[in-house]
Amino acid sequence: MPGDEASQRGSSGGASAVRYAGATKRYGGSTVAAVDHLDLEVPAGEICVLVGPSGCGKTTAMRMVNRTVELSEGDVLVGERSVRERSPAQLQREIGYVIQDIGLFPHRTIAENIATVPSLLGWKKERIAARTAELLELIGLDAELADRYPAQLSGGQQQRVGVARALAADPLVMLMDEPFGAIDPINRERLQNEFLRLQAEIGKTVLFVTHDIDEAIKIGDRIAVMREGGRVAQYATPAELLMAPADGFVEDFVGADRALKRLALMRVADIDLWEAPLAYVGQPTAEVRAKLAAPGVEVPYPLLVDSERRPLGWLSERDLRAEVVPSRPDSPLGPLLDRDDVMRDALGDLLQGEAQYAAVADAEGRIVGVLSIEIISEFLASPQAKTEEQSAVERPHG
Amino acid sequence: MTALLPHPLLASIEGAIEFIFTPQSSNVTGGKSVGGIEQVVELTLNQLELTLLALALSLLLALPLGLYLGHRGTGELFAVALGNVGRAIPELALIAFMAAAIGVGVLNLTIALAVLGVPPILANTFVGIHQVDRATVDAARGIGMTELEILRKVEIPLAIPTIFAGVRGATIAIVATATIAPLAGVLTLGDFIINGNVYGDDGVLAGAIVVALLALVLEFGLAGLQRLLTSKGLRLSPT
Amino acid sequence: MASPLLAVTGEVGKDFFQERSTDTLPCQATDKLFCWDWATQNIDRYGAPTVQHVELVLISVLLGFAVAFALALLAHRHRWLQPPLLAGTGVLYTIPSLAFFFLLLPVTGRGRDTAIIALSAYTLQIIYRNTIVGLANVPASVRDSARGMGLTERQTLWKVELPLAAPEIFAGLQIATVSTVAIATLAVFAGGGGLGTLIKSDLTFKTNIILAGGIAFLIAIAFGLILLGAQRLLTPWRRARAA
Repeated sequence: MPGDEASQRGSSGGASAVRYAGATKRYGGSTVAAVDHLDLEVPAGEICVLVGPSGCGKTTAMRMVNRTVELSEGDVLVGERSVRERSPAQLQREIGYVIQDIGLFPHRTIAENIATVPSLLGWKKERIAARTAELLELIGLDAELADRYPAQLSGGQQQRVGVARALAADPLVMLMDEPFGAIDPINRERLQNEFLRLQAEIGKTVLFVTHDIDEAIKIGDRIAVMREGGRVAQYATPAELLMAPADGFVEDFVGADRALKRLALMRVADIDLWEAPLAYVGQPTAEVRAKLAAPGVEVPYPLLVDSERRPLGWLSERDLRAEVVPSRPDSPLGPLLDRDDVMRDALGDLLQGEAQYAAVADAEGRIVGVLSIEIISEFLASPQAKTEEQSAVERPHG
Repeated sequence: MTALLPHPLLASIEGAIEFIFTPQSSNVTGGKSVGGIEQVVELTLNQLELTLLALALSLLLALPLGLYLGHRGTGELFAVALGNVGRAIPELALIAFMAAAIGVGVLNLTIALAVLGVPPILANTFVGIHQVDRATVDAARGIGMTELEILRKVEIPLAIPTIFAGVRGATIAIVATATIAPLAGVLTLGDFIINGNVYGDDGVLAGAIVVALLALVLEFGLAGLQRLLTSKGLRLSPT
Repeated sequence: MASPLLAVTGEVGKDFFQERSTDTLPCQATDKLFCWDWATQNIDRYGAPTVQHVELVLISVLLGFAVAFALALLAHRHRWLQPPLLAGTGVLYTIPSLAFFFLLLPVTGRGRDTAIIALSAYTLQIIYRNTIVGLANVPASVRDSARGMGLTERQTLWKVELPLAAPEIFAGLQIATVSTVAIATLAVFAGGGGLGTLIKSDLTFKTNIILAGGIAFLIAIAFGLILLGAQRLLTPWRRARAA
């Protein structure tokens, strides 16, 4: 389990589970609760995404964990300790907190911002400096930016500093409230990927709030779809959510394109690819023609590869009229896919390249098979798809 | 004077109030009476006249210039520096210099007081107009408003609070300095205060009270005028 | 004694710098705008009043700042205090200082204390208002992240909000100080001393007025520049724009 691996890693202090036990929040004299008796369990080291329409109480629920919102009734337990046990300030220093507008202190340098909680906890200067350097590397920020002020960094850089600041004192739990919401879509995807890479390394327990179901599916180990009052309509893994939505609300929220969303969960390597007849430069075309004519050929075009079996392009009828296979094929290669690519992206590349077939290569660039749209749609319809998706649940994100 | 109440402070106030309404006999001018509602009103009107004239002159000089510079966005250093410098002018020296070097009289004094009134109005008008959101101005320009229309319909309404802050600051400085106008030959309420030996302690306190009230009334009036001129949408901010 | 400036300015400067043929006539009796000779000879007369003046200003501003700042912190926590405090300090700001001196007279009597109280009262509104506005302008996200990370209310105020409000607060302090130097020339009427004493003692002597007024003016400008410099020094992050 990801959590176990994380606690064995050196730099990370580990993670605690979070449990909501009948947690309720009522504002003012209101009889309607913003969060109504929430019961939820987040295992240690997992990312739990709270997703739902605005006003459903997801942010309120998240804030109950670090008492930036005080409980009206019920309890929240962090690592089996009630949040009420300590003072809010003490609790908050053990919990990482990242908000949408980041809230970096403009009057402090990046290094000073990151050092906020460690300073509060009384860490020695050398320890703080070492930790700051470690974190800057972890989030992929140049060490020389440490003495700059937030106004001098881009939005994406600031957001990463926000994450680093939250991680500084090695918290047990991380709370993230639409952390990538204010970033442009291109950088948002980058930040999401980097965050997942980070999480694979440090394995914190994360409570992540978003209104974007696609982000939830991409990021979450578990997703809690909430409706108003903080009521959980469904709490499940992304795959379960897509394959078996609990009710009409969840179905609507997840979206009519559920089938396409499932493609985000799988990799090209997960399915059986077709094979194209391979042709080497200088090979007699007669041999290639024989391969083409053989029964059971799935791809009717020969793929030109080099001596290392790296794809160079597709051969046409005209190419085959020559005596030997030419070194320059008639048709260009088109989209070249990686077997580790997420299926959704692979489909996107196929469609964008207006190609019927796309060569799939391994990490060294060597051909492993050919993907086509047909394969994808056949696979989605088949019972095999379901079992493939189940195993996708076991696999950690990253 | 009979003191109705034993406490000395209240007695002073009582004495002052009596001074305002009833002429008292003065110990200096020998028989001639001082104080009384007529004299108080006369001096009040003198001060008011001086103040309003000086304010009008200041507005005439500073407002158009401030609007122009603020709209164009140039001359910021000049306007702000002038505001700072204007604040540094010592009032007593200004009046005394006026009297000694240039001459006494309402006209000269009006000019002197305008010297105090122009800087805050100019600086605040500039800042108020200049700080109107550029996006709003661009949008107005894009709709096809002329520069004057933009100034009139967009920039000025949005700058009202800041401009008025400048006008109020100018008024306060002018009223305060007009109080010592007697040093330059124009009899205002300050005479009661400055020439205490003529008017007596009651006169001094009376003068102070009436000056304070005058200033507060003017301020109140300006605040009311500002509220009238401020569009509803802007009234939400507490400043 | 011929003034060196006379040699430099020649005919043009005669009116200003030449001593009359009867140099037994003191400067006060002449109609000259400014007698350099008299000024240089009598400059030491201006020493003590200048020191007095500066003392008055410093004490008044510090007192005003202390009170206004404390009130602003209180009102920042307890919003309901803001309207009455704004109105209250506004009244004190509106009342002309001269009048204020004499309103205080029955209570505090003549002397420096009266002058100080009145001058302080005048500074309250500008410092109070700038502090409140400065604190209010701290972005909500910065406050939220500070509190959420575990800074207590007090730590948030002193380590985050006040540093970020410093430019506004300093601006208010600057305005207050410059104004107080100018107004303190009136302190003489309350028996508080200062450069105004020299002016009031001879209202017709132009050189004296220019000297005393000029010194006050220069002190005011100097204080303004010093505070401007201090503000720049204490807020390095404002100078650092996007690289």
